[in-house]
Amino acid sequence: MDGGTWWSGTRLVAGRALKEGFSSRSWRVVTALMLLLGLAVVVVPRLIGEREVTYRLATVGETDAGLAAPLEAAAGAGGFEVDFVAVADAQAAELAVRDGDADVAVAGTGADTTLYVRSDNFSTFPALVSQAVLAQATTASLVGAGLSPAQVAAIQATPPPEQISVGRVADEGRAAVGFVVGIILYLALILTGTTIAAAVALEKSTRISEVLLAVLRPTQLLVGTVLGVGVLGLTQIAAIAVPAGIGVATGTDLDLPPSATGDIVLGVAWFVLGLLLYAFVFAALATLVEKVTEVNTATLPVNVVLIGSYVLAVTVTVRDPNSWASVASSLFPLSAPLVMPVRWASGLVPVWQLALAMGLVAATAVGLALLASRIYARGLTLSGRRVRLREVLTD
Amino acid sequence: MLQAVGLSHSFGERQALAGVDMTVRPGVLTGLLGPNGAGKTTLIRALLGVIQPDAGRVLQDGSPVTFEHRRRWGYMPQERGLYPAMPAGEQLVHMARLHGLSRRDAESRACALLAELGLGDRWTDRTDKLSGGMQQRLQLGAALVHDPEVVVLDEPFAGLDPVAVDDLSTMLRDRVGTGRTVVFSSHQLDLVQDLCEEIVMVDHGRAVLEGPVATLRAESGRRQLRLGLAPEATRDWLARFSDVRVVEDLADGVRLDLPPQVEALAVLDAARAAGPVTDFGLDLPTLSQLFLAAVEDGQVERTSAGAA
Repeated sequence: MDGGTWWSGTRLVAGRALKEGFSSRSWRVVTALMLLLGLAVVVVPRLIGEREVTYRLATVGETDAGLAAPLEAAAGAGGFEVDFVAVADAQAAELAVRDGDADVAVAGTGADTTLYVRSDNFSTFPALVSQAVLAQATTASLVGAGLSPAQVAAIQATPPPEQISVGRVADEGRAAVGFVVGIILYLALILTGTTIAAAVALEKSTRISEVLLAVLRPTQLLVGTVLGVGVLGLTQIAAIAVPAGIGVATGTDLDLPPSATGDIVLGVAWFVLGLLLYAFVFAALATLVEKVTEVNTATLPVNVVLIGSYVLAVTVTVRDPNSWASVASSLFPLSAPLVMPVRWASGLVPVWQLALAMGLVAATAVGLALLASRIYARGLTLSGRRVRLREVLTD
Repeated sequence: MLQAVGLSHSFGERQALAGVDMTVRPGVLTGLLGPNGAGKTTLIRALLGVIQPDAGRVLQDGSPVTFEHRRRWGYMPQERGLYPAMPAGEQLVHMARLHGLSRRDAESRACALLAELGLGDRWTDRTDKLSGGMQQRLQLGAALVHDPEVVVLDEPFAGLDPVAVDDLSTMLRDRVGTGRTVVFSSHQLDLVQDLCEEIVMVDHGRAVLEGPVATLRAESGRRQLRLGLAPEATRDWLARFSDVRVVEDLADGVRLDLPPQVEALAVLDAARAAGPVTDFGLDLPTLSQLFLAAVEDGQVERTSAGAA
């Protein structure tokens, strides 16, 4: 038979599965939820957002330029704003803080300077003000000691030590994206795999497979079903990933680095790889059933692998992406589709490890698909009872 | 012409087919008969390529059957195989397209066939919302929608009411009338006795009897002569026919088993000479009787073969 005919039969099988999925209520509901969730990621921070953090600093009289300048600079770098409030005296400054009219108040000069801070203020702003006051005092001392303004400027130009993140994630926000990508990948793979298994079990238990096997090759039926249901799953993933990805790339309100969009795109790629890895196994195991209700028991082994990988990803890998367990499970092909995307979002994974994991998963997927198509072809024709896996493998 | 040659297949220890030969000619409605568990379904699944037999070949017009041949066949399995959530019309269109029809052809054929099946107004109804009888007809439609050269039906009459049996018989005869090759299986031997023109009887994975029904029944040597006799009539004349066995002897008549060499008319003449005959009839054996006789013969052969 020529390739065109193989493909035309496969396409019909996939098309039927797609059509049935698109017209099923549960698929529509889940996809709508995914889309809403994806849009919410973009829209909700903007609605509740615009929440530029503004700190108010109360000073006795007009704020000294020497104090205001470093704070303005810090505000620009830290993404917040500082409002300066002038008060009459130290007592008014203290009251302003107590009544919530100011976050921090400064009174006095030089060594007599007092900082008023509300007892429930745990932000870094008081420390910044304290630092600014200190810097102002130091400058005054240096000038007093006879240094020229140029010398003072040179001393203050000493750059702060470079910071390098070690062991933990490079960016908390991006790691959170990895965490969410992990959850969605897990849910989508389980959902798609289960849908495939249910479709196969239905075909077998209603003996539709008998009719189909008389006109289609087992591989056409297997690939067509995986393709059709896989596209359904991919559509759901796209419903959440496209708005979220665009939102992260364009929306600065999310407080996420644009590289997180790359993590989302990579998440979609991992969905496709994971689907190739697990979907054929789901389909093959589903042929061992006699009744549709047995499908969960039959697919238990692959579900256990998925659940185990997911738990590992969200417990161990999220906290310590470079521990030996995280590295090993992100490279091991059976767990990589769920662990690697989470680990990758930590920003600490060498590209060669990502490439290796993807290559291993792809190779394993090919091997498993070949094995699965054997199980599938044998399992479908053994009817009348629950079939044991050993039976279809040893013949 | 569809042929099975030496088909053998085992499920583990159990041998389901033990070298079955079978021929189905186009234009001749053929029944594949035998009790439950005789191997009919396994034989059909092997014909259709659903299972790969351990040994033997399936031929169409003398050449080995390929996947391409089978795409032009129609198959109705014993347990109904339809997508529950699919509308009836789409079900037929899908099957037709799997068999290689274009969408347009598939739709027009499905439309015509639904009407023929009395389901013309059910195109958009979900399959699982149809009654059991309608689903059976739709299943038949799925096997016929692409106008197959060869139609194979596994137990199509099981569970049908007499009207449905009649409708299905008509549809199958119509297909045979246009030169199609049609074979169906049944364990209800006497139900399909008048429907099939040729039969293949299987038992324990072997073909035990094969041929045209009329010839098999006439030549079985198992004809029975039913004679209605006056109550006081004597049976003395029977002594002249030493080969004739009395099956039944009632007050108002006898039922006689006639071996092939005995002419029925000679027996009737002898009876009339001895006294009045109120009623008479020559009964050919039923298919069940033929089957039982064939199985007995087979057992005798096997026993003697074992002894030798």
